[in-house]
Amino acid sequence: MILDSKVPSGPLEKKWSQFKADMKPVNPANKRKFKVLVVGTGLAGGAAAATLAELGYNVEAFTYHDSPRRAHSIAAQGGINAAKNYQNDGDSIWRLFYDTIKGGDFRSREANVYRLAEVSANIIDQSTAMGVPFAREYGGYLSNRSFGGALVSRTFYARGQTGQQLLLGVYAALSRQIEAKKVKMHNRKEMMDVVVVDGRAVGIVVRDLLTNKLESHYGDAVILATGGYASVFYLSTNALYCNVTASYRAYKRGAAFANPCYTQIHPTCIPQSGDHQSKLTLMSESLRNDGRIWVPKKAGDKRNPADIPEEERDYYLERMYPSYGNLSPRDISSRAAKRVCDEGRGVNATGKAVYLDFSDAINRLGQKVIADRYGNLFDMYENIIGVNPYKNPMMIYPAAHYAMGGLWVDYNLMSSIPGLFVLGEANFSDHGANRLGASALMQGLADGYFVIPNTINAYFGKGKPQTIPTDHPEFKKVEVEVQERITKLLNVNGKQSPTQLHKKLGAIMWEYVGMARNREGLKKAIGLIQELREEFWHDLKIVGPDSYLNPVIEKASRVADFMEFAEILAYDALMREESCGAHFREEYQTEEGEAKRNDKDYSYVAAWEFQGVGKEPILHKEDLKFEFVHLGERSYK
Amino acid sequence: MRINLHVWRQPNTEAKGHIQLYTLDDVSPDMSFLEMLDVLNEQLIQKGDDPVAFESDCREGICGTCGMVIDGIPHGKQSGATVCQLHMRKFKDGDDIYVEPYRHTVFPVIKDLFVDRSAYDRIIQAGGYVSANVGSAPDANANPIPKGIADLAMDAAQCIGCGACAAACPNGSAMLFVAAKVSHFNLLPQGQPEKATRARAMVKRMEDEGFGGCSNYYECEAACPKNISVRFIAKLNRDYLYAAFKEGV
Amino acid sequence: MFKYLNHLVISKFVMAATGAFIVLFITGHAIGNLQIFLGKDALNTYAAFLQSLGEILWAERIVLGLAFVLHIITSIYLKLYNNKVRPTKYAVTKYIKARFSSRTMIWTGIMIGSFLVFHILHFTSRDIDPKYKEMHEVYQDEHASYFGFDETVMQATNANDFGIGMHPIIKQRHDTYAMVVDGFQNIWISLFYILAVILLGFHLSHAIQSMFQTLGINGPRFTPLMIKISNAYGIFIALAFAIVPLSVLLGFIGRGL
Repeated sequence: MILDSKVPSGPLEKKWSQFKADMKPVNPANKRKFKVLVVGTGLAGGAAAATLAELGYNVEAFTYHDSPRRAHSIAAQGGINAAKNYQNDGDSIWRLFYDTIKGGDFRSREANVYRLAEVSANIIDQSTAMGVPFAREYGGYLSNRSFGGALVSRTFYARGQTGQQLLLGVYAALSRQIEAKKVKMHNRKEMMDVVVVDGRAVGIVVRDLLTNKLESHYGDAVILATGGYASVFYLSTNALYCNVTASYRAYKRGAAFANPCYTQIHPTCIPQSGDHQSKLTLMSESLRNDGRIWVPKKAGDKRNPADIPEEERDYYLERMYPSYGNLSPRDISSRAAKRVCDEGRGVNATGKAVYLDFSDAINRLGQKVIADRYGNLFDMYENIIGVNPYKNPMMIYPAAHYAMGGLWVDYNLMSSIPGLFVLGEANFSDHGANRLGASALMQGLADGYFVIPNTINAYFGKGKPQTIPTDHPEFKKVEVEVQERITKLLNVNGKQSPTQLHKKLGAIMWEYVGMARNREGLKKAIGLIQELREEFWHDLKIVGPDSYLNPVIEKASRVADFMEFAEILAYDALMREESCGAHFREEYQTEEGEAKRNDKDYSYVAAWEFQGVGKEPILHKEDLKFEFVHLGERSYK
Repeated sequence: MRINLHVWRQPNTEAKGHIQLYTLDDVSPDMSFLEMLDVLNEQLIQKGDDPVAFESDCREGICGTCGMVIDGIPHGKQSGATVCQLHMRKFKDGDDIYVEPYRHTVFPVIKDLFVDRSAYDRIIQAGGYVSANVGSAPDANANPIPKGIADLAMDAAQCIGCGACAAACPNGSAMLFVAAKVSHFNLLPQGQPEKATRARAMVKRMEDEGFGGCSNYYECEAACPKNISVRFIAKLNRDYLYAAFKEGV
Repeated sequence: MFKYLNHLVISKFVMAATGAFIVLFITGHAIGNLQIFLGKDALNTYAAFLQSLGEILWAERIVLGLAFVLHIITSIYLKLYNNKVRPTKYAVTKYIKARFSSRTMIWTGIMIGSFLVFHILHFTSRDIDPKYKEMHEVYQDEHASYFGFDETVMQATNANDFGIGMHPIIKQRHDTYAMVVDGFQNIWISLFYILAVILLGFHLSHAIQSMFQTLGINGPRFTPLMIKISNAYGIFIALAFAIVPLSVLLGFIGRGL
């Protein structure tokens, strides 16, 4: 496998315009003869489907939801970055580019990130024109807020529902194309596999979730925009349906999987209340501006927080990182929280939480000021936990949140299988080893609205690929394989539900492949994952009908892929003997416990090629060349 | 806590459903309502019974996937919240709770609590957008929008499309949904060129889908997990009247 | 003509517009009725004035009748249509915001409609008790007099002693006052009227604010106020109508008639 990034030559700021100038556009009259399959209808997929249809391509879009409006992009709260410099605070495309590449700890591709920064401003223009109600100032102009990892104010937002509003914008555009019959929408259909003929992606096999029947679809190109895999940890901020199946099946068909170990853990989530917990809810990090994080000094101190005197409290972030204190970056504060909880000093019934205390801020500023700043977050917390955070300290704990890794793509967002494109969180391309806040929405929309319409044009510009009928033997073969796998799941007849087994997988992943990793732990994890996978295939229990809607089968099929994928994630983490961004290897840290990056040996993208289940995949390296930026230290002391 | 759950079970659209009683012991008050159903489902799987089918995805009240009727109220008794945000501490030990799917001819039951809400998508397809192709946009600050207008549009735009309004309405009307979507665009300057067409087309689609008419009961507003106000229905009526004069019906 | 019924929002406008017209009429009617407290003469003068409008009265009756017909047909059509949309009830029925008055509009409407038929036959066409047709009052027109001799008047009033000279005009008109008093002295009819106007007030307490909502007039300050006004108006109408039969029953009006 040769990983050719296909980055255009020339100066960084000219690459994208040069690419567009060099591209041979498809004759508009011919565009409808090109069929594009888009899997996933979140920000990236929905935007791609709508935009390609506007251009005249014949688009079919697929979602496992009942409607394209439900994708998990909808849950993004904070905002979307764009280099508009409306605040006149010195922002520029270069600054957004640099912040993003630095935030990613210099593990992403310069040209891709620069392009992202370049089109960011167009996203705001386009979304506004489509009627996205961004927050505004009294003068009627757009409002900005600042976000972590940036010294300028460039984040656009729509209350705490930016993701929702942007997704609804995408959904509206998509709906318009559906009405115009330019997009054929397939709801409640889950992609089960990619069909590759002569080394080219020619279609997909999907499962109709209502009838459990398989269908084959041909496409001149296939776009995967199927999101991230943070649910491999079982508990995460991801939605319940989020899964790795589409990406993973593509990987099994030959697409390289890049940097799976880069998974972001978010420090301020509402902690787990018990074994019944199904997901974790994120609270805005802004809470750390006024809250002080502490745990009792004594292990196992179960007293009421109010009864613990000041001198018996450990404000550990302020102690360990005096200059940044409670505002230390996401990964650092997450790891610190896990460390104190592992020492037995965690609070809550589960012992897996730390206090985020507002009493100082309330005494200093008054309850009203705090309510104005965080009222909705406090209400949300009280609703979930049932404790009034004005009177008692909040409890928080880190949770898996976002996957920076994903299928490997070149500058055109095409995977290592020609004709298979990957957009949004499902690809690896823009965030390196860590993602900055408010950048996920930006990337999804950049890929869907502005990048893919140009790069797919470049792919099709070479002429229309030969149509493969869906009764081609390869389609039939893949259908049979998918069906066999489902039948195999149904025939295990064991004792454990898919959810129980998923929980077990999550426990292994969180313990050994979570926010702090080490060699022994990762090796152990690989063994445990293999054992659990055996257990899965011997002890899975599925009930309910097999030829009608059955959420148990859906869940089992997704968990089955996680059982295999988890191992790749662990291999990647084991291979990468350095600490960078969200990937922290305990062996590689400075004396102060900071991440120690190793640019000499690991300045590359790790792209894994499938070799068979249970076999170590082959590692391919795409060296990251930094022609335009200087690799700096990432210090928050 | 001990909870007596009376759950609607219906294997498929054609089948006749019935209410089935399940008694759950050891329900933690910290559980969300859906987590309580998860626990029930795990128990059913262990017994080899078909678990209760219900939809939910984000579990933080924004995706609009969940929606069921608890004791006669879509999303349950907690106002301004989806069912995934409802917690068991709002119930008492020994409570009897009735859980049903939305009952509406336009939302046929697929299985148990799982219904088909695709009619809402088709209403949006009729006109719930601004026809602005990608690439055609002017600078975002080229047209200032008064903050009050932008905020009001945002109030309307918060709709999550969960279907609770039509399920709560004694007439089965989807006017709150249509009104929220029409108002969001019709309030903003970007939505003006298609203002009349949008109001007319979306109402027409709502009628064609078979939803009922509005009798100003305001039960939709009470059930709406996003507290969307019926004032948007008044706005829709206004825009529709304007459209009827301008373009006919 | 009934094509508009296929359009739910247009149907609503028809309900609101016809309702608005009926409300105007009802308001006038209620205030007109209260003239009974000014005495027999005032009421009968008012009734005679209305009768004297001739074509205008008939035009008003036709428009009003049309409004009632449209109001009733539309509401029944919508109710039947809406019932088909949600045929299955929930196992537990609970309402949060839908007030009892709003949920019973169709029933209060039907009852008011039936009452209306009775009322028209009773006091307008006077077919229920035909003797009301023959109730006349001879009165003296204070606004005019004439010089001369009028035999018919002389006979009718048995007022020979006026002789020749300036005479007040003596006329004959329907004795609405007597009819009302007679009608309401029947306790059952009175109770029926009182019940009907309470239902009417109840109907209107939802109707007024609903009408504004339908016509697109809603605002964060306006609407809560309008709901209060709507309730107050419903009470006012019920009281204004009910006070007449009540006063007759209690003997405040018509004593010694």
